[in-house]
Amino acid sequence: MLLPHFEFHEPTTVSEACEIMGRLREKARPIAGGTDLIVNMKKNLIRPDHVVSLAKIDDLKGIVRENGLLEIGACVTAAEIAGSDAVEKKFAALAQGARVLGSPLIRNLATISGNVVSARPAADLPPPLMAYGARAVLMKTSGERSVDLNDFFKAPGKTVMDPDEILTRIVIEAPQGHYGDSYVKLGLRQTFEISLVNVAAFISLDGSDGPISKARVILGSVGPTPIRSQSAEDVLGGQMPSEPLFARAGEAAAGDAQPIDDFRGSAEYRRDMVAVLTRRALNMALKRAGSR
Amino acid sequence: MKRLIRLNVNDKIYEIAVEPNRTLADVIREEIGLTGTKKGCEVGECGTCTVILDGKTVNSCLVLAVQADGKTILTIEGLETDQGLHPIQQSFVEKGAVQCGFCTSGMILSAKSLLDQNPDADEKEIRSAISGNLCRCTGYQKIVEAIASVKDRGPIS
Ligand SMILES: Cc1cc2nc3c(=O)[nH]c(=O)nc-3n(C[C@H](O)[C@H](O)[C@H](O)COP(=O)(O)OP(=O)(O)OC[C@H]3O[C@@H](n4cnc5c(N)ncnc54)[C@H](O)[C@@H]3O)c2cc1C
Repeated sequence: MLLPHFEFHEPTTVSEACEIMGRLREKARPIAGGTDLIVNMKKNLIRPDHVVSLAKIDDLKGIVRENGLLEIGACVTAAEIAGSDAVEKKFAALAQGARVLGSPLIRNLATISGNVVSARPAADLPPPLMAYGARAVLMKTSGERSVDLNDFFKAPGKTVMDPDEILTRIVIEAPQGHYGDSYVKLGLRQTFEISLVNVAAFISLDGSDGPISKARVILGSVGPTPIRSQSAEDVLGGQMPSEPLFARAGEAAAGDAQPIDDFRGSAEYRRDMVAVLTRRALNMALKRAGSR
Repeated sequence: MKRLIRLNVNDKIYEIAVEPNRTLADVIREEIGLTGTKKGCEVGECGTCTVILDGKTVNSCLVLAVQADGKTILTIEGLETDQGLHPIQQSFVEKGAVQCGFCTSGMILSAKSLLDQNPDADEKEIRSAISGNLCRCTGYQKIVEAIASVKDRGPIS
Protein backbone atom coordinates (compact mmCIF):
# COMPACT_ATOMS: atom_id res chain seq x y z
CA MET A 1 0.00 0.00 0.00
CA LEU A 2 1.53 3.25 -1.10
CA LEU A 3 1.18 6.54 0.63
CA PRO A 4 0.41 9.50 -1.64
CA HIS A 5 3.15 12.10 -1.90
CA PHE A 6 3.22 14.96 0.56
CA GLU A 7 5.60 17.52 1.96
CA PHE A 8 6.80 16.86 5.49
CA HIS A 9 7.23 19.55 8.13
CA GLU A 10 8.82 19.08 11.50
CA PRO A 11 8.35 22.16 13.68
CA THR A 12 10.00 22.18 17.12
CA THR A 13 7.72 24.74 18.79
CA VAL A 14 3.95 25.13 19.03
CA SER A 15 4.08 28.61 17.52
CA GLU A 16 6.04 27.33 14.54
CA ALA A 17 3.47 24.56 14.07
CA CYS A 18 0.63 27.09 14.29
CA GLU A 19 2.34 29.32 11.75
CA ILE A 20 2.59 26.41 9.28
CA MET A 21 -1.03 25.35 9.87
CA GLY A 22 -2.20 28.96 9.57
CA ARG A 23 -0.48 29.26 6.19
CA LEU A 24 -1.52 25.90 4.72
CA ARG A 25 -4.89 25.30 6.48
CA GLU A 26 -6.93 22.55 4.69
CA LYS A 27 -3.89 21.51 2.64
CA ALA A 28 -2.10 20.30 5.76
CA ARG A 29 -2.76 17.73 8.47
CA PRO A 30 -0.93 17.39 11.75
CA ILE A 31 0.44 13.94 12.54
CA ALA A 32 0.86 12.78 16.14
CA GLY A 33 1.07 8.97 16.39
CA GLY A 34 -0.08 8.43 12.81
CA THR A 35 -2.21 5.37 13.56
CA ASP A 36 -5.31 7.02 12.11
CA LEU A 37 -3.77 9.41 9.63
CA ILE A 38 -1.45 6.93 7.92
CA VAL A 39 -4.18 4.29 7.65
CA ASN A 40 -6.58 6.84 6.13
CA MET A 41 -3.91 8.07 3.73
CA LYS A 42 -3.06 4.52 2.67
CA LYS A 43 -6.75 3.87 2.05
CA ASN A 44 -6.87 7.09 0.04
CA LEU A 45 -9.55 8.58 2.27
CA ILE A 46 -7.50 11.73 2.81
CA ARG A 47 -4.72 13.23 0.70
CA PRO A 48 -3.09 16.15 2.46
CA ASP A 49 -0.38 17.93 0.44
CA HIS A 50 1.48 18.62 3.67
CA VAL A 51 1.94 16.60 6.84
CA VAL A 52 3.03 18.47 9.95
CA SER A 53 4.69 16.30 12.58
CA LEU A 54 4.08 17.26 16.20
CA ALA A 55 6.54 14.71 17.58
CA LYS A 56 9.52 17.06 17.98
CA ILE A 57 7.63 19.66 20.03
CA ASP A 58 8.67 19.18 23.66
CA ASP A 59 5.81 21.33 25.00
CA LEU A 60 3.33 18.71 23.76
CA LYS A 61 4.84 15.91 25.85
CA GLY A 62 4.37 14.76 29.39
CA ILE A 63 1.68 14.37 32.03
CA VAL A 64 1.71 17.05 34.73
CA ARG A 65 -0.29 17.15 37.96
CA GLU A 66 -0.29 20.43 39.82
CA ASN A 67 -2.65 22.98 41.35
CA GLY A 68 -5.47 20.47 41.26
CA LEU A 69 -5.19 19.98 37.51
CA LEU A 70 -4.06 17.06 35.41
CA GLU A 71 -2.57 18.22 32.12
CA ILE A 72 -1.87 15.67 29.41
CA GLY A 73 0.20 16.86 26.45
CA ALA A 74 -1.10 16.22 22.94
CA CYS A 75 1.65 13.73 22.11
CA VAL A 76 1.24 11.57 25.22
CA THR A 77 0.57 8.00 24.10
CA ALA A 78 -2.08 5.57 25.30
CA ALA A 79 0.73 3.41 26.72
CA GLU A 80 2.04 6.36 28.75
CA ILE A 81 -1.44 7.11 30.09
CA ALA A 82 -2.00 3.44 30.96
CA GLY A 83 1.33 3.34 32.81
CA SER A 84 1.02 6.63 34.67
CA ASP A 85 0.60 6.49 38.46
CA ALA A 86 -0.86 10.00 38.50
CA VAL A 87 -3.61 8.84 36.11
CA GLU A 88 -4.18 5.46 37.75
CA LYS A 89 -4.66 6.88 41.25
CA LYS A 90 -7.10 9.70 40.55
CA PHE A 91 -8.41 9.02 37.05
CA ALA A 92 -8.93 5.27 36.96
CA ALA A 93 -11.56 5.43 34.18
CA LEU A 94 -9.07 7.13 31.86
CA ALA A 95 -6.41 4.54 32.68
CA GLN A 96 -8.97 1.84 31.87
CA GLY A 97 -9.75 3.44 28.52
CA ALA A 98 -6.06 3.70 27.64
CA ARG A 99 -5.41 0.06 28.57
CA VAL A 100 -8.02 -1.27 26.13
CA LEU A 101 -7.15 0.94 23.16
CA GLY A 102 -5.98 -1.14 20.17
CA SER A 103 -3.08 -3.47 20.87
CA PRO A 104 0.21 -3.02 22.75
CA LEU A 105 1.81 -2.01 19.42
CA ILE A 106 -0.89 0.57 18.69
CA ARG A 107 -0.83 1.92 22.26
CA ASN A 108 2.88 2.72 21.90
CA LEU A 109 2.06 5.04 18.97
CA ALA A 110 -1.51 6.27 19.46
CA THR A 111 -1.77 9.62 21.24
CA ILE A 112 -4.50 11.29 23.26
CA SER A 113 -4.81 14.18 20.79
CA GLY A 114 -5.14 11.86 17.81
CA ASN A 115 -7.79 9.84 19.63
CA VAL A 116 -9.78 12.97 20.45
CA VAL A 117 -9.34 14.86 17.15
CA SER A 118 -10.14 11.86 14.93
CA ALA A 119 -13.60 11.88 16.59
CA ARG A 120 -14.42 8.23 16.01
CA PRO A 121 -17.73 7.34 17.64
CA ALA A 122 -16.16 4.26 19.28
CA ALA A 123 -12.93 5.89 20.47
CA ASP A 124 -11.85 4.80 23.95
CA LEU A 125 -10.52 7.99 25.51
CA PRO A 126 -13.30 10.56 24.93
CA PRO A 127 -15.97 8.92 27.17
CA PRO A 128 -13.81 8.83 30.31
CA LEU A 129 -12.44 12.30 29.56
CA MET A 130 -15.98 13.66 29.15
CA ALA A 131 -17.04 12.00 32.39
CA TYR A 132 -14.47 14.16 34.24
CA GLY A 133 -15.49 17.28 32.31
CA ALA A 134 -12.08 17.47 30.61
CA ARG A 135 -11.25 20.38 28.33
CA ALA A 136 -9.23 20.50 25.12
CA VAL A 137 -6.83 23.42 24.75
CA LEU A 138 -6.70 24.57 21.13
CA MET A 139 -4.11 26.89 19.66
CA LYS A 140 -3.67 28.86 16.45
CA THR A 141 -1.69 31.94 15.50
CA SER A 142 -4.47 34.28 16.64
CA GLY A 143 -4.61 32.74 20.11
CA GLU A 144 -5.71 29.98 22.43
CA ARG A 145 -9.14 28.69 23.49
CA SER A 146 -10.30 25.89 25.71
CA VAL A 147 -13.34 23.75 24.85
CA ASP A 148 -15.24 21.36 27.13
CA LEU A 149 -15.07 17.95 25.44
CA ASN A 150 -18.81 17.66 26.03
CA ASP A 151 -19.17 20.40 23.36
CA PHE A 152 -16.30 19.27 21.15
CA PHE A 153 -17.66 16.50 18.88
CA LYS A 154 -20.04 17.27 16.00
CA ALA A 155 -20.28 14.07 13.93
CA PRO A 156 -18.06 11.10 13.04
CA GLY A 157 -14.70 12.65 12.19
CA LYS A 158 -16.02 16.18 12.82
CA THR A 159 -15.20 18.47 15.72
CA VAL A 160 -15.46 22.17 16.53
CA MET A 161 -11.80 22.66 15.60
CA ASP A 162 -10.75 25.06 12.85
CA PRO A 163 -8.51 23.56 10.15
CA ASP A 164 -5.55 25.61 11.36
CA GLU A 165 -5.97 24.76 15.04
CA ILE A 166 -3.74 22.42 17.03
CA LEU A 167 -4.86 20.60 20.14
CA THR A 168 -2.01 21.22 22.56
CA ARG A 169 -3.22 19.51 25.72
CA ILE A 170 -6.12 18.01 27.60
CA VAL A 171 -6.83 19.49 31.01
CA ILE A 172 -8.83 17.78 33.74
CA GLU A 173 -9.76 19.35 37.04
CA ALA A 174 -8.94 16.78 39.71
CA PRO A 175 -12.18 15.77 41.41
CA GLN A 176 -12.33 16.21 45.19
CA GLY A 177 -13.88 14.24 48.02
CA HIS A 178 -15.75 10.98 47.71
CA TYR A 179 -15.90 10.32 43.99
CA GLY A 180 -15.73 7.22 41.86
CA ASP A 181 -15.15 6.68 38.17
CA SER A 182 -15.09 3.80 35.74
CA TYR A 183 -15.04 2.80 32.08
CA VAL A 184 -16.50 -0.36 30.59
CA LYS A 185 -15.97 -1.47 27.00
CA LEU A 186 -17.90 -4.26 25.33
CA GLY A 187 -16.41 -5.80 22.22
CA LEU A 188 -16.64 -9.14 20.51
CA ARG A 189 -13.00 -9.89 21.22
CA GLN A 190 -10.55 -8.77 23.88
CA THR A 191 -8.05 -6.96 21.69
CA PHE A 192 -8.38 -4.84 18.59
CA GLU A 193 -12.02 -4.38 19.00
CA ILE A 194 -14.17 -1.53 17.89
CA SER A 195 -16.52 -1.47 20.83
CA LEU A 196 -20.16 -2.38 20.44
CA VAL A 197 -20.91 -0.17 23.39
CA ASN A 198 -18.77 1.65 25.90
CA VAL A 199 -19.79 3.55 28.98
CA ALA A 200 -17.91 5.90 31.29
CA ALA A 201 -19.42 6.83 34.65
CA PHE A 202 -18.51 9.37 37.31
CA ILE A 203 -20.28 9.98 40.60
CA SER A 204 -19.42 12.06 43.61
CA LEU A 205 -21.09 11.57 46.96
CA ASP A 206 -22.05 14.04 49.64
CA GLY A 207 -19.98 12.55 52.47
CA SER A 208 -18.75 8.97 52.47
CA ASP A 209 -22.23 7.42 52.59
CA GLY A 210 -24.34 10.34 51.48
CA PRO A 211 -26.46 10.92 48.39
CA ILE A 212 -25.05 11.45 44.92
CA SER A 213 -24.15 15.11 44.54
CA LYS A 214 -22.97 14.87 40.95
CA ALA A 215 -23.22 12.20 38.25
CA ARG A 216 -21.93 11.90 34.72
CA VAL A 217 -22.75 9.08 32.32
CA ILE A 218 -21.18 9.05 28.85
CA LEU A 219 -22.12 6.51 26.19
CA GLY A 220 -19.76 5.62 23.34
CA SER A 221 -20.33 3.72 20.07
CA VAL A 222 -24.08 4.22 20.22
CA GLY A 223 -24.37 7.50 18.33
CA PRO A 224 -22.47 9.65 15.83
CA THR A 225 -20.48 11.10 18.75
CA PRO A 226 -20.08 10.06 22.38
CA ILE A 227 -23.35 10.96 24.12
CA ARG A 228 -23.76 12.48 27.55
CA SER A 229 -26.82 10.78 29.01
CA GLN A 230 -28.78 13.60 30.61
CA SER A 231 -31.64 11.24 31.51
CA ALA A 232 -29.37 8.92 33.49
CA GLU A 233 -27.80 11.87 35.27
CA ASP A 234 -31.28 13.19 36.17
CA VAL A 235 -32.21 9.82 37.66
CA LEU A 236 -29.05 9.76 39.81
CA GLY A 237 -28.78 13.35 41.03
CA GLY A 238 -29.55 13.84 44.76
CA GLN A 239 -30.44 10.15 45.31
CA MET A 240 -28.88 7.58 47.62
CA PRO A 241 -26.81 5.15 45.54
CA SER A 242 -28.39 1.70 45.30
CA GLU A 243 -28.66 -1.24 42.94
CA PRO A 244 -32.27 -0.39 41.89
CA LEU A 245 -31.31 3.26 41.32
CA PHE A 246 -28.42 2.20 39.07
CA ALA A 247 -30.74 -0.14 37.17
CA ARG A 248 -33.15 2.77 36.57
CA ALA A 249 -30.26 4.97 35.45
CA GLY A 250 -29.26 2.19 33.03
CA GLU A 251 -32.77 2.12 31.52
CA ALA A 252 -32.72 5.90 31.20
CA ALA A 253 -29.32 5.77 29.47
CA ALA A 254 -30.64 3.15 27.03
CA GLY A 255 -33.34 5.65 26.09
CA ASP A 256 -30.71 8.28 25.24
CA ALA A 257 -28.64 5.95 23.04
CA GLN A 258 -28.96 6.16 19.25
CA PRO A 259 -27.44 2.84 18.21
CA ILE A 260 -27.18 1.44 14.71
CA ASP A 261 -27.71 -2.08 13.35
CA ASP A 262 -24.65 -3.68 11.78
CA PHE A 263 -22.88 -7.02 11.48
CA ARG A 264 -21.40 -6.63 14.97
CA GLY A 265 -24.76 -6.41 16.67
CA SER A 266 -28.32 -5.18 16.32
CA ALA A 267 -29.45 -1.80 17.55
CA GLU A 268 -31.76 -3.56 19.99
CA TYR A 269 -28.89 -5.57 21.47
CA ARG A 270 -26.74 -2.48 21.76
CA ARG A 271 -29.52 -0.60 23.51
CA ASP A 272 -29.96 -3.44 26.02
CA MET A 273 -26.22 -3.47 26.60
CA VAL A 274 -26.19 0.26 27.31
CA ALA A 275 -28.51 -0.45 30.24
CA VAL A 276 -26.35 -3.33 31.50
CA LEU A 277 -23.00 -1.56 31.10
CA THR A 278 -24.29 1.66 32.65
CA ARG A 279 -25.42 -0.27 35.72
CA ARG A 280 -22.04 -2.04 35.93
CA ALA A 281 -20.06 1.15 35.41
CA LEU A 282 -22.04 2.89 38.17
CA ASN A 283 -21.50 -0.01 40.55
CA MET A 284 -17.78 0.06 39.88
CA ALA A 285 -17.70 3.84 40.33
CA LEU A 286 -19.54 3.49 43.66
CA LYS A 287 -17.02 0.93 44.85
CA ARG A 288 -14.19 3.31 44.05
CA ALA A 289 -16.01 6.19 45.76
CA GLY A 290 -16.32 4.04 48.86
CA SER A 291 -12.59 3.52 49.04
CA ARG A 292 -11.77 7.23 48.80
CA MET B 1 11.69 16.10 -1.72
CA LYS B 2 13.97 13.47 -0.24
CA ARG B 3 15.31 13.92 3.25
CA LEU B 4 18.47 12.56 4.76
CA ILE B 5 17.74 10.49 7.85
CA ARG B 6 19.96 8.62 10.24
CA LEU B 7 18.83 5.34 11.75
CA ASN B 8 20.57 3.09 14.22
CA VAL B 9 19.38 -0.35 13.19
CA ASN B 10 20.66 -3.32 15.19
CA ASP B 11 23.65 -1.23 16.37
CA LYS B 12 24.64 -0.16 12.88
CA ILE B 13 24.23 3.41 11.64
CA TYR B 14 22.51 3.98 8.30
CA GLU B 15 22.26 7.35 6.56
CA ILE B 16 19.58 7.20 3.93
CA ALA B 17 17.81 9.69 1.69
CA VAL B 18 14.09 8.95 1.78
CA GLU B 19 10.86 10.40 0.42
CA PRO B 20 8.55 11.49 3.30
CA ASN B 21 5.87 9.05 2.16
CA ARG B 22 8.02 5.95 2.78
CA THR B 23 7.18 3.99 5.89
CA LEU B 24 9.78 2.64 8.28
CA ALA B 25 8.77 -0.89 7.24
CA ASP B 26 9.54 -0.09 3.59
CA VAL B 27 12.89 1.49 4.36
CA ILE B 28 14.01 -1.37 6.60
CA ARG B 29 13.09 -3.92 3.94
CA GLU B 30 13.97 -2.15 0.72
CA GLU B 31 16.77 0.32 1.55
CA ILE B 32 18.50 -1.47 4.39
CA GLY B 33 17.67 -4.92 3.05
CA LEU B 34 16.56 -6.53 6.29
CA THR B 35 13.59 -8.58 5.17
CA GLY B 36 12.91 -10.29 8.49
CA THR B 37 10.47 -7.45 9.11
CA LYS B 38 7.37 -8.54 7.16
CA LYS B 39 4.54 -6.59 5.64
CA GLY B 40 1.07 -8.11 5.97
CA CYS B 41 -2.02 -5.96 6.35
CA GLU B 42 -0.09 -2.66 6.25
CA VAL B 43 -2.69 -0.95 8.44
CA GLY B 44 -1.54 -1.91 11.94
CA GLU B 45 -3.71 -4.96 12.46
CA CYS B 46 -1.47 -7.98 11.89
CA GLY B 47 1.79 -7.07 13.64
CA THR B 48 4.11 -8.78 11.14
CA CYS B 49 6.01 -5.49 10.73
CA THR B 50 6.73 -5.16 14.47
CA VAL B 51 10.07 -3.56 15.35
CA ILE B 52 11.38 -2.17 18.63
CA LEU B 53 11.73 1.59 18.22
CA ASP B 54 13.60 3.39 21.04
CA GLY B 55 12.71 0.49 23.32
CA LYS B 56 9.03 0.21 22.37
CA THR B 57 7.33 -2.24 20.03
CA VAL B 58 5.49 -0.53 17.19
CA ASN B 59 3.90 -1.38 13.84
CA SER B 60 6.59 -0.10 11.48
CA CYS B 61 3.98 0.14 8.68
CA LEU B 62 2.40 3.05 10.60
CA VAL B 63 5.61 5.01 11.20
CA LEU B 64 7.00 7.34 8.56
CA ALA B 65 10.70 6.72 8.06
CA VAL B 66 11.32 10.46 8.44
CA GLN B 67 9.74 10.25 11.90
CA ALA B 68 12.26 7.62 12.93
CA ASP B 69 15.19 9.94 12.16
CA GLY B 70 17.78 9.74 14.95
CA LYS B 71 16.11 6.76 16.60
CA THR B 72 17.31 3.32 17.56
CA ILE B 73 15.63 0.31 15.99
CA LEU B 74 15.87 -3.37 16.77
CA THR B 75 14.65 -5.83 14.13
CA ILE B 76 14.55 -9.60 14.30
CA GLU B 77 17.99 -9.74 12.65
CA GLY B 78 19.42 -7.93 15.68
CA LEU B 79 18.56 -10.69 18.14
CA GLU B 80 20.93 -13.42 17.04
CA THR B 81 24.48 -13.07 18.36
CA ASP B 82 27.82 -14.80 17.74
CA GLN B 83 26.73 -17.26 20.41
CA GLY B 84 23.77 -18.24 18.27
CA LEU B 85 20.04 -17.73 18.38
CA HIS B 86 18.50 -15.59 21.08
CA PRO B 87 16.87 -17.75 23.80
CA ILE B 88 13.40 -16.70 22.60
CA GLN B 89 14.25 -17.69 19.02
CA GLN B 90 15.67 -20.99 20.28
CA SER B 91 12.55 -21.65 22.30
CA PHE B 92 10.27 -20.97 19.30
CA VAL B 93 12.22 -23.53 17.28
CA GLU B 94 12.21 -26.14 20.04
CA LYS B 95 8.53 -25.79 20.89
CA GLY B 96 7.33 -25.86 17.29
CA ALA B 97 6.04 -22.31 17.56
CA VAL B 98 7.17 -21.57 14.00
CA GLN B 99 5.07 -22.79 11.11
CA CYS B 100 4.91 -20.63 8.00
CA GLY B 101 7.11 -18.13 9.83
CA PHE B 102 5.40 -14.97 8.63
CA CYS B 103 4.29 -13.76 12.07
CA THR B 104 7.38 -15.08 13.86
CA SER B 105 9.60 -11.98 13.73
CA GLY B 106 6.87 -9.81 15.20
CA MET B 107 5.85 -12.40 17.77
CA ILE B 108 9.42 -12.77 19.00
CA LEU B 109 9.98 -9.02 19.25
CA SER B 110 6.72 -8.56 21.19
CA ALA B 111 7.80 -11.43 23.44
CA LYS B 112 11.23 -9.88 23.95
CA SER B 113 9.74 -6.54 24.90
CA LEU B 114 7.49 -8.28 27.45
CA LEU B 115 10.21 -10.47 28.99
CA ASP B 116 12.67 -7.57 29.19
CA GLN B 117 10.17 -5.69 31.37
CA ASN B 118 8.64 -8.68 33.12
CA PRO B 119 10.72 -11.89 33.10
CA ASP B 120 8.08 -13.61 35.26
CA ALA B 121 5.15 -12.88 32.96
CA ASP B 122 2.29 -15.33 33.37
CA GLU B 123 0.18 -16.82 30.59
CA LYS B 124 -2.38 -14.01 30.69
CA GLU B 125 0.34 -11.38 30.40
CA ILE B 126 1.96 -13.29 27.54
CA ARG B 127 -1.33 -13.53 25.64
CA SER B 128 -1.94 -9.84 26.17
CA ALA B 129 1.60 -8.88 25.05
CA ILE B 130 1.23 -10.71 21.72
CA SER B 131 -2.35 -9.59 21.17
CA GLY B 132 -1.24 -7.22 18.40
CA ASN B 133 0.42 -10.05 16.46
CA LEU B 134 -1.81 -12.33 14.40
CA CYS B 135 -0.89 -15.93 13.51
CA ARG B 136 -2.86 -17.99 11.01
CA CYS B 137 -1.15 -21.36 11.53
CA THR B 138 -0.45 -22.30 15.11
CA GLY B 139 -3.53 -21.41 17.11
CA TYR B 140 -1.17 -19.49 19.44
CA GLN B 141 -0.84 -22.31 21.98
CA LYS B 142 2.70 -23.28 20.98
CA ILE B 143 3.75 -19.67 20.73
CA VAL B 144 2.50 -19.01 24.26
CA GLU B 145 4.24 -22.17 25.50
CA ALA B 146 7.47 -21.15 23.79
CA ILE B 147 7.43 -17.72 25.44
CA ALA B 148 6.45 -19.16 28.82
CA SER B 149 9.29 -21.66 28.74
CA VAL B 150 11.90 -18.97 28.03
CA LYS B 151 11.34 -17.37 31.36
CA ASP B 152 12.34 -20.57 33.15
CA ARG B 153 15.83 -20.14 31.77
CA GLY B 154 16.54 -17.12 33.90
CA PRO B 155 17.25 -13.59 32.76
CA ILE B 156 17.72 -12.98 29.06
CA SER B 157 20.60 -11.02 27.62
C1 LIG C 1 -5.19 -1.52 14.28
C2 LIG C 1 -5.80 -0.34 14.97
C3 LIG C 1 -6.58 -0.53 16.11
C4 LIG C 1 -7.17 0.55 16.75
N1 LIG C 1 -7.91 0.32 17.87
C5 LIG C 1 -8.47 1.37 18.53
C6 LIG C 1 -9.22 1.16 19.72
O1 LIG C 1 -9.41 0.04 20.20
N2 LIG C 1 -9.75 2.25 20.36
C7 LIG C 1 -9.58 3.50 19.88
O2 LIG C 1 -10.06 4.45 20.49
N3 LIG C 1 -8.88 3.73 18.74
C8 LIG C 1 -8.32 2.70 18.07
N4 LIG C 1 -7.61 2.93 16.91
C9 LIG C 1 -7.56 4.31 16.36
C10 LIG C 1 -6.31 5.13 16.69
O3 LIG C 1 -5.21 4.33 17.02
C11 LIG C 1 -6.56 6.08 17.83
O4 LIG C 1 -7.65 6.92 17.52
C12 LIG C 1 -5.33 6.96 18.16
O5 LIG C 1 -5.47 7.46 19.48
C13 LIG C 1 -5.08 8.09 17.22
O6 LIG C 1 -3.95 8.80 17.68
P1 LIG C 1 -2.70 9.11 16.74
O7 LIG C 1 -1.75 9.89 17.55
O8 LIG C 1 -2.19 7.87 16.13
O9 LIG C 1 -3.43 10.00 15.65
P2 LIG C 1 -2.93 10.51 14.23
O10 LIG C 1 -3.14 9.43 13.23
O11 LIG C 1 -1.59 11.12 14.30
O12 LIG C 1 -4.01 11.65 14.01
C14 LIG C 1 -5.40 11.40 13.90
C15 LIG C 1 -6.11 12.67 13.39
O13 LIG C 1 -6.01 13.71 14.34
C16 LIG C 1 -5.30 14.82 13.82
N5 LIG C 1 -4.44 15.27 14.91
C17 LIG C 1 -3.63 14.50 15.67
N6 LIG C 1 -3.07 15.22 16.65
C18 LIG C 1 -3.54 16.48 16.52
C19 LIG C 1 -3.35 17.67 17.26
N7 LIG C 1 -2.57 17.70 18.35
N8 LIG C 1 -3.98 18.80 16.85
C20 LIG C 1 -4.78 18.76 15.74
N9 LIG C 1 -5.01 17.65 15.02
C21 LIG C 1 -4.40 16.52 15.40
C22 LIG C 1 -4.57 14.31 12.61
O14 LIG C 1 -4.37 15.33 11.65
C23 LIG C 1 -5.51 13.23 12.12
O15 LIG C 1 -6.54 13.80 11.35
C24 LIG C 1 -7.00 1.86 16.24
C25 LIG C 1 -6.20 2.05 15.11
C26 LIG C 1 -5.61 0.98 14.47
C27 LIG C 1 -4.76 1.22 13.26
